[in-house]
Amino acid sequence: MELEELKILLKEKLDTQHPKKSTEDISALLNKKTQSVIGKLKRSLWIEIIACIVFALACAAVGIFGKFASLRIYFSIFAFVCFLFLPVLWFLLQKTKKLGSTSLPVKSNLEFLIKILTEYVKRYFQLTMALIPLTIFTAFSLGYSDANLHNPELHNPFFPTLTGSAGSIIFGVMYLVLFPVGIYYVTKWYLKKFYGNYIDQLQSLIRELEE
Amino acid sequence: MPGANEFIDLLNHNQNIIHKVCNLYMDNISDREDLFQEITLQAWNAYNSFRNESKFSTWLYRVALNTAISFYRKEKRKPVIQSLTQIPEHADDANNKEEQMQAMYKAINALSKIDKALIMLYLEDYNYEEIGNILGITANNVAVKMNRIRTKLKEESKKYYQFS
Repeated sequence: MELEELKILLKEKLDTQHPKKSTEDISALLNKKTQSVIGKLKRSLWIEIIACIVFALACAAVGIFGKFASLRIYFSIFAFVCFLFLPVLWFLLQKTKKLGSTSLPVKSNLEFLIKILTEYVKRYFQLTMALIPLTIFTAFSLGYSDANLHNPELHNPFFPTLTGSAGSIIFGVMYLVLFPVGIYYVTKWYLKKFYGNYIDQLQSLIRELEE
Repeated sequence: MPGANEFIDLLNHNQNIIHKVCNLYMDNISDREDLFQEITLQAWNAYNSFRNESKFSTWLYRVALNTAISFYRKEKRKPVIQSLTQIPEHADDANNKEEQMQAMYKAINALSKIDKALIMLYLEDYNYEEIGNILGITANNVAVKMNRIRTKLKEESKKYYQFS
């Protein structure tokens, strides 16, 4: 059978094959929640923005009302960093919304989708990785200065305490190695599982279009 | 919702387009329903971008194909693909044409998402220029792809039906 022949037969068949939806059915569909990747990404971004604001406010509260100077500084830094995340997340949300409200040709739509997802994955990874040295550095330096503040008669008590036993040295080294490595691989795995595989699929569709 | 009635009316008259895309891209009724809902929502979200520069049906094809192609679903265990139409229970009773058509349907089902979009638009009588505009590629590229698809379909449909 040739395609031209199929055209006629297919038209007859497909026009009668499916149950027709009423205007009420269609109207009801407009109130449902989208399951598309863009829709899910939009929801994720909203959740992250809200979580970021709540976390930043909580950190700011500890930063203002905390009992110890080290805790106040530590949480103030995180409150500041959280507020820095907000414009990035907001920018991504606006881009995502824009894609949802346009009807681009298939290839451009795929390219735009990949661009947004890649940008999201990149920023998510960068921000998560940026938090690792910040966490370690501030925790150690504040622990060091706080110990000095509260024990001014002792000379440099933090590191001698830390390096006092083999157990604490092992713990310290394990923390310094396993925490960043763990976060790195978990973040990579998470992003690959939820976005990376999908981005790969979309890229292969573009390659196919270009062939 | 401003413009909702107009949109619902337009969609109601063109819902065949969405059904066809759903039948082409999804294997079972539940997935088709999900995709139908998704296309309807995407079309509604993008309705403001419809400027009457093209026919509503062409615009809807674009939205529907965009949604179907980028629709992501975790792979489920699924039975043998039976899309477009159900295969007759008693194939022996079906006439020759029906069997040939079923073989062609199965061959179309085996195509990639992009090839399915091309074949769908071709079967809907869009010319290469129009298909190119919807997909975002050149008319020449469409022509090359259509030749490849024709060959693929011939080969693939032979697996399901021995043409005399």
